Amino acid sequence: MAATETQFMLSVGLIEKDVNGDTLWVWCYPSVGSDLRQVLLSKCCLTRDGRDFHTFVFGQFCRTWYYITTVEVQEPTALNKVTHFSIVVTAKDFNPEKYAALSRILCRMYIKHGSPVKMMEAYVTVLTKGICQSDENGSFLIKDYDVRKAYLAGSVKDVVSQFGMETIILYTALMLKKRIVVHHPRIEALLEFTRVLPSLTWHRKDWSILHPYVHLTDAELEDLKKCPGYVAGFVDPEVSNRSDLFDVYVNLPDSVITVSQSAKEAMAMGKLHKDIGHLIVQSAEDAERSDSQVIKEISVKTKEILANLAALADECEDSKITLEGLKQHHFPPATENFLFHLAAAEQLLRI
Amino acid sequence: MEEVDNILIHALKEVGTEVNEDTSSVKQFSSELIVEAVVRCIRVIEPCLGSALPTSLPPGMSARFRVCTSLAQACQDIGYKGEIGYQSFLYSTEPEIRSLLMFLVEKLPRESAEASDQPPGKSVVLQRAIAAAIKAQLVVPWLPPSCRLPLHSETQSPGALHRFHVQPLSLPHCTEEAGKKQLKEVKDYHRDILPPVTAQPSHHASLVTSILEQHTAELSASQEGYNEWNSQGLLSRLKPQEYRSRKLTRLRKRIEEQMRSAALPSLESAFGGPRATSDLSEVLQAFRGSAPSDHILTKGSNFTHTQKFTFTQTLPSSSIPSSHQSESDIQHCQQEEQVSLQLHFQHLCSDVDQLAADMKHMTVTNAQVLDEFKQRELKNSEKEDKLQVKKKTINLLPDSDNNLLKLQTLVEASAKRVVNLASQWEKRRTPLINEHRRLKEICSKQDLESSKKLSEITSLHDKIRVSTEEAKKKEEIHKQLVTELENLPQDVSRSAYTQRILEIVSNIKKQKEEITKILSDTKELQKEINSLTGKLDRTFAVTDELVFKDAKKDESVRKSYKYLAALHENCYQLIQTIEYTGTILREIRDLEEQIETENGSKTVANLERILNDYKAIRQENSALAAKVREG
Repeated sequence: MAATETQFMLSVGLIEKDVNGDTLWVWCYPSVGSDLRQVLLSKCCLTRDGRDFHTFVFGQFCRTWYYITTVEVQEPTALNKVTHFSIVVTAKDFNPEKYAALSRILCRMYIKHGSPVKMMEAYVTVLTKGICQSDENGSFLIKDYDVRKAYLAGSVKDVVSQFGMETIILYTALMLKKRIVVHHPRIEALLEFTRVLPSLTWHRKDWSILHPYVHLTDAELEDLKKCPGYVAGFVDPEVSNRSDLFDVYVNLPDSVITVSQSAKEAMAMGKLHKDIGHLIVQSAEDAERSDSQVIKEISVKTKEILANLAALADECEDSKITLEGLKQHHFPPATENFLFHLAAAEQLLRI
Repeated sequence: MEEVDNILIHALKEVGTEVNEDTSSVKQFSSELIVEAVVRCIRVIEPCLGSALPTSLPPGMSARFRVCTSLAQACQDIGYKGEIGYQSFLYSTEPEIRSLLMFLVEKLPRESAEASDQPPGKSVVLQRAIAAAIKAQLVVPWLPPSCRLPLHSETQSPGALHRFHVQPLSLPHCTEEAGKKQLKEVKDYHRDILPPVTAQPSHHASLVTSILEQHTAELSASQEGYNEWNSQGLLSRLKPQEYRSRKLTRLRKRIEEQMRSAALPSLESAFGGPRATSDLSEVLQAFRGSAPSDHILTKGSNFTHTQKFTFTQTLPSSSIPSSHQSESDIQHCQQEEQVSLQLHFQHLCSDVDQLAADMKHMTVTNAQVLDEFKQRELKNSEKEDKLQVKKKTINLLPDSDNNLLKLQTLVEASAKRVVNLASQWEKRRTPLINEHRRLKEICSKQDLESSKKLSEITSLHDKIRVSTEEAKKKEEIHKQLVTELENLPQDVSRSAYTQRILEIVSNIKKQKEEITKILSDTKELQKEINSLTGKLDRTFAVTDELVFKDAKKDESVRKSYKYLAALHENCYQLIQTIEYTGTILREIRDLEEQIETENGSKTVANLERILNDYKAIRQENSALAAKVREG
């Protein structure tokens, strides 16, 4: 297990901000492409005139996850003329906690020794053996950080308590593989909120749709558009004007969810959605249930719907659903519409 | 007195009075001259009063008398406060005439100063003329057409008005492209073919407006460019071309963004029909005058266009009114037409619905297919990677333990090598990055200095500009004043006057001093006299008492007492006589002064003249009476 998991780690990089106010990419191993490097420099909070300081930020670009830990250098130190630095770890998998812990160790090593060589040693040890000594008591073991824990780290209950019945909009959008854009001026809130959303479609366990930290630059938006459905987080309020980027827009600070005109028809909701919505809200409001239990209940309901859909598909030839086939069952129009689009999302529709 | 007379004579000459070159004082003025001078002055001061008065005295005595009285009245009307009547002109005295002329001349300069102010330059004359003409035109009040007089026809009739219509003009001068050379063909075109500016507009009335518009546009553009360059351009520290090219790219980007955001709603209205025009106007409003792009209009409305097209095609073919058919037939035809059109319309609507449903289905299936494709691609690549690894592992399987050990050692070795390489690289890297940082620091310091210098330069520019403007203004004023000075009349030297005035003032000061000295001397003397008189009295009183006391007893003392009394009496009389003599001398002086003044007023001559004139008037009266009796 450790072997395959270490294959997920791609590279480690170092960004420094010096007393001249320059933010430079000073070191990386093994190598980082120039596009990715540009993106990483823009994500690193050091490039923004020291306005906000974010200790830990993560995101996805071109199917690569990046985890940036930023530290302010306190005197006295072996590093001269450096005021802040960030360590960037890129990997193929989504596991913020694991890489945050790793980055912390690397940061401490860098500060202590003032040279990236020691840091690289630790990194290579993790890469080859999956374990590394840390300055704190104990050591860092990759296998301590299971990916399931990362998936379940967020809190569904918070989401439901903020949006109530409207959570069903998010559920529907995720089920139908629509494009959700979330906005919040603070990146930490954005990261916390968006990482929970893919857990509403637990049966897919697909966190590659998550792009929690995106800027309105051409390169990133092009990369975003390659995914048919995604959950994207933006700090820039201008994104509300970019209706070409989303089907559902979530204004997190105001707790407002809007569905864009073009998607209203596909996202029409009926009795089925109301039931599911009630289930979600009730389940989340129960104080005795934990987050994972809530997710489990939602996934049970989802599996039910999918089982129904599969049954409908089996009725038709070559087990693919058609619109005519659905119409024969005389569902209410909203449910019929939803099932039609869900079939497309689950690849059960005849082409 | 001489200077005063000179000034008066000069002023009178300016007014137009013909004064002989010999006359140098007012004493020598004859009555005719006085009358002429006064009349001319009054004409300048108040033209309405003066126009009624003749400049020369008529021959008849009564007429003369009348003229002089009216002249005196006019002088009083103007504001002369002294006593004046016909006698001031016919039988004049020097001081009277002098004061009257001074009063009139004083009244003069203020009114005639404006008229005698010479204009300083030709362009100023022209400008003043233009200003006066415009002022006159503005003063004329606007009247409705029915009330207009002919004098308004020039400015207020509708024929004089033109619409403000602007046409583009092409002028052969280079503005921005100072570095570029004009093509030879362009130069030839400008020289041979391009018509002059006055011939370019199609309507002559729009020539002025077009020129004004073009000039204002160029001026404001260059002014704005200059200001922008001074404020932002210098700060950006780029060359002018670079700055402009950067601005151009920035603006283009903005245009793209605006177009994109505006084009999207029109996509949604593809089935909404004729909303394209409203979108276009919104786009224009949002971007404030960018060129409308045609593709917005055509986007999404292909369908509506074809719809309209088919409609227009069918309509003309189906309506052929024939004049031979009766009314009911025509109606029947029209109803049939209507029915067929409605059927056609319904067909089209169902087609539209069908197509919409198809499109929807297509998009959904398209999305599904793309999704599937993507997933399969990813799985493929993952499986390929796994395959590679497994291939390599299979090759190593036969001798697994050894190979495992070997692999581990290999891994450790490469790890160590990598670390070694990293440390080597670090050795190279650190000095380089330190150097980079050091140079950056120096650079930023220099930036600060250069920005300081830049601000100094801009302030110097401002100062230069301000000083050049001031210098220009001062030079203009200097020119004006020089020409004014040259044009001023040269015969009267101002400096001579000022010198004389200053001399007189100093003389008066000295005299005043002397007078005060004399006065103080007189006071001293008077005080002495008073004190001596007092002393005398007291001494006499004491002596008197003393002697009187002893006089009762002794005979010689009584004699001496009598002598004392007589002495006192005589001295007292002496003093009185001296005082009396003094008073008489003063009276003599006063009388002598009076004799002089009376002599100056030539009363005797005047009296003789009055008698003669009286005799002449009596004769005229008797002649007129005889005439009346006869006729």
